[in-house]
Amino acid sequence: MARTEQQSNDRFQGRWFWRYASPAAFYPVAGRIEKIGWFLAITLAIIGLYIGFFRAPTDAQQGEVYRVIYIHVPAAWMAMIIYLAMAFWSATGLVLGTRLSFMMSHALAPTGAIMAVIALWTGALWGRPTWGTYWVWDARLTSTLILFFLYVGYMALAASFDDKKKGDRASALIALVGAVNVPIIYFSVNWWNTLHQGSSVRPGSSSMASIMLTAMLIMTFAFWAYCVAAAMHRLRTQIIERESGAQWVKELVK
Amino acid sequence: MSLRLAASAVFRREFQLFARRKSDWANPLMFFVIVCSLFPFAVGSETERLRGIGVGVIFVGALLAALLTLPRLFDEDARDGSLDLLLNSNEPLAMLVLARVAALSIGIGAPLILATPLFSLLYALPSDVALVLALAVALAVPTLLLVGAIAAALLVTARGGAILTAVLVLPLTIPTLIFGAGAASKVLYGESPFAELSLQAAYLLFALALSPLAASAALKISTD
Amino acid sequence: MIWESWSAFWAMGGRGFFVWGSYGALLIAILAELIVLRGARKKALESVDEFPR
Repeated sequence: MARTEQQSNDRFQGRWFWRYASPAAFYPVAGRIEKIGWFLAITLAIIGLYIGFFRAPTDAQQGEVYRVIYIHVPAAWMAMIIYLAMAFWSATGLVLGTRLSFMMSHALAPTGAIMAVIALWTGALWGRPTWGTYWVWDARLTSTLILFFLYVGYMALAASFDDKKKGDRASALIALVGAVNVPIIYFSVNWWNTLHQGSSVRPGSSSMASIMLTAMLIMTFAFWAYCVAAAMHRLRTQIIERESGAQWVKELVK
Repeated sequence: MSLRLAASAVFRREFQLFARRKSDWANPLMFFVIVCSLFPFAVGSETERLRGIGVGVIFVGALLAALLTLPRLFDEDARDGSLDLLLNSNEPLAMLVLARVAALSIGIGAPLILATPLFSLLYALPSDVALVLALAVALAVPTLLLVGAIAAALLVTARGGAILTAVLVLPLTIPTLIFGAGAASKVLYGESPFAELSLQAAYLLFALALSPLAASAALKISTD
Repeated sequence: MIWESWSAFWAMGGRGFFVWGSYGALLIAILAELIVLRGARKKALESVDEFPR
């Protein structure tokens, strides 16, 4: 037993990613990533909003209200991407048994849920002047709503176990089940949507001026950086919580 | 003991339980009956309106009735210790889970499916719609129980089981809901339900292939 | 400069409520998340202190 452990240690030595699977080793790295994330998020947001509000022209069809796109679309994309990232780290955790991977999933989930809420809220406020009502059962809005339910289920499940290890694995499994189902849900919602209301007017689907697209992409990277920074912050908090018995954490507090 | 023997033993045991405790299948049926009877009081009893909501009400009612039986899947066995026997069996756990879900699908699914055409009459749906709706419910109940088995297995030992099961399972039933209710609606508008029914069947097959594996993994996690 | 005045900027062509309602909600959501993040960190650090060194 001891020998195989030694062997596996030898085997993994020198592989940097394996070393950083240790919470203690990743803690300072996460701190650095977090700092870069905050810096990029603020810088890119200032640039993106400047271009979006002071350089991009008024939309010919929608007037000024289209400027919601600079936060609506990035938030919707991030809600999607974060769920995939969550499922990825959950799978990694289940396969390799690395604690840090589960923590990464837990750290991502609340930010992903917030992104889904922002996408829904801005979608509703954009929909009012565009469609004349705050909510239509548009395929993309509906899918985002279901994605939000999946986030809520994941977080509720993780919170319902007293045994952290069990909660880690259980919520990782449900994240994977969700990720397998997300494409099917998207397909079925699209199917249902075309069945019930034909092609709906979609804000932003008209060809966008390239300067608008530029601003939107910059804002997407700003959102991305923000989500990474927030997740890293949450990850570090979790490491402190779970490793609170370890010597290095106690020295950190001193 | 061979796998087939083990699976059929699990299957038979479920049916003996169904025969002995009628409430196991009668209660979900009663729930379904009452839920379907409530809606006319809420929306009014005009024929046109009932026909408009009938497919959705009956379909969602059947899904909810099936959802309520999920704790029956593993909770009791966890209490009386027979779950440990299942877990320690030499046979693949996924197959035993599948046998149990199959038994539950038939045991509680059959009464729901038989009640569906009856309620279709009360909602003024034509008989061809009623038949397709019953078929759609027949495809939806096993799908829900298969997906739900994963959540039920995870929550065997967790707090707040029943509501959390609903939160976890219901979003995943949206595809079968869309295709199943869509099939019946298609017939209502005089179109062919074939596409929807085949998509619904495809989703059932997909769940059939993956969810016993996921549910057995879930059982191992939660009883670890 | 595409805006004639600051008041035109805030009015957003008569759609100010929808545009600033969206951006305001984003701001509130981010601020709320940051406050929760800081609170959780503080609590975690305090819980470490409780252990005897």
